[in-house]
Amino acid sequence: MYVWDFAALRPYWGLIWQGLGVTVIYTLVTVLAGLAIGLAVGILRTAGPRWVSIPLRAYIEVFRCTPLLVQLVWVYYALPVLIGVDMSATTACFLTLSLYAGSFYAEIFRGGIEAIDRGQWEAGHAIGMQQSKIFRRIILPQAIQVMVPSLINQTIMQLKNTSLVSTVAVGDLLYQGSVITAASYRPLEVYTTIAVLYFVVLFPLTLVADQVEQRMGAHR
Amino acid sequence: MTQAPPILVASNIQKAFGTNQVLKGVSLSVARGEVVTLIGASGSGKSTFLRCLNLLELPQNGELAIGSHHFAFGDGKRGPDKTRLALLRRDVGMVFQHFNLFPHMSALDNVIEGPVQVKNMARAEAKELGRDLLAKVGLADKADSFPSRLSGGQKQRVAIARALAMKPDVMLFDEVTSALDPELVAEVLAVISKLAADGMTMILVTHEMAFAADVSNRVGFMSEGVMAEIGAAASVIHRPQNPRLIAFLNRFHQRTIVPNTGGVIAP
Repeated sequence: MYVWDFAALRPYWGLIWQGLGVTVIYTLVTVLAGLAIGLAVGILRTAGPRWVSIPLRAYIEVFRCTPLLVQLVWVYYALPVLIGVDMSATTACFLTLSLYAGSFYAEIFRGGIEAIDRGQWEAGHAIGMQQSKIFRRIILPQAIQVMVPSLINQTIMQLKNTSLVSTVAVGDLLYQGSVITAASYRPLEVYTTIAVLYFVVLFPLTLVADQVEQRMGAHR
Repeated sequence: MTQAPPILVASNIQKAFGTNQVLKGVSLSVARGEVVTLIGASGSGKSTFLRCLNLLELPQNGELAIGSHHFAFGDGKRGPDKTRLALLRRDVGMVFQHFNLFPHMSALDNVIEGPVQVKNMARAEAKELGRDLLAKVGLADKADSFPSRLSGGQKQRVAIARALAMKPDVMLFDEVTSALDPELVAEVLAVISKLAADGMTMILVTHEMAFAADVSNRVGFMSEGVMAEIGAAASVIHRPQNPRLIAFLNRFHQRTIVPNTGGVIAP
């Protein structure tokens, strides 16, 4: 019978917090960057000319249809060779995670925008509004309501996906876990603690998501 | 009504969707204060023609003049720029079959969106205007209601108030009662009648023949992309000349319960 000994982790709590901090920061930054990319790409894919929308489609499909782990490794090891630029693991991870998130967010934005009835555009035009104003004031607020559940889902995935940066030695929560395991020989305690921490961060987020969803749908 | 100078002149409007020529050169001149109703079978092009009048559909050929706005379409002519389109549409109100209210805004916010966002009217002033217009369509107590809390008839009246808020020169009504439950049609028609009495220039597409005969100065019958017959309301509906119009009115009559007093539809 295995004897649990979480006390053995006591010397390493500093590392764990540090790793959690890196995970949260990576998530925040790449979610924000991903949302910005996704919004721009999503809009251009619905409204842009073909010579813009086709390359963007290619970008989306490449990032959606290859494993994130492969992308990370490729950007970190292969891309620098191809373009002759040295990239730190931090930069490579930021770039890859943002583009990865952006490709998924772009599809969510596009779907949300296209889900809004054409009549809404026409009603805006009929009172003399310009395209950009209709988009901002009429279409986007409604589209966001449609998109909220998917956006939150994707954001939760993004936090979990950051764990892959540990493979290129960025010191996130999982990476620190492997470091601590190597030092303490306590893998069960370490990985259980890490799983609990991920859960503790994400579970409240899903509760907030439910709240937001209900509140946004209140006048429907 | 023909003595007043026309406020709207559409000449030889042609529109095709792909190979389907929907409008084969339709012309219409409307005097200020006139009410013109367009009738015709579905697919006759009447809604498309109406949508060409505020350029929600851009014709391939023809000319359109409304007030001080003038547009010409044809080969070699560039499409009108978006600013000019928006300026035209400020002066041409449109009410849609499916209301198209903004569901994330209250009734009052729907009405003031145009004045505030397009005409840069001060919010307080716009709200006053909006409340007046909602009162005019009988919805003074619904200003803060969201569209989802309104009946179809109420939604359509808010939509009319929203169009009126831009103080348009011309109002276009595109089958505005077709999506309503029968018992809600009358309240919307009553608002339109009131607008007609106030002298609003209006062009309606409708299947409400009795209403068309009652409220319109002229009725136009569209068929297969042309204006097959147009004239005084009473003569077009009660003394039709065009064989296709006679067939249309008879077909219409067969599925409408109105006492037959010799004419196609009781006056």
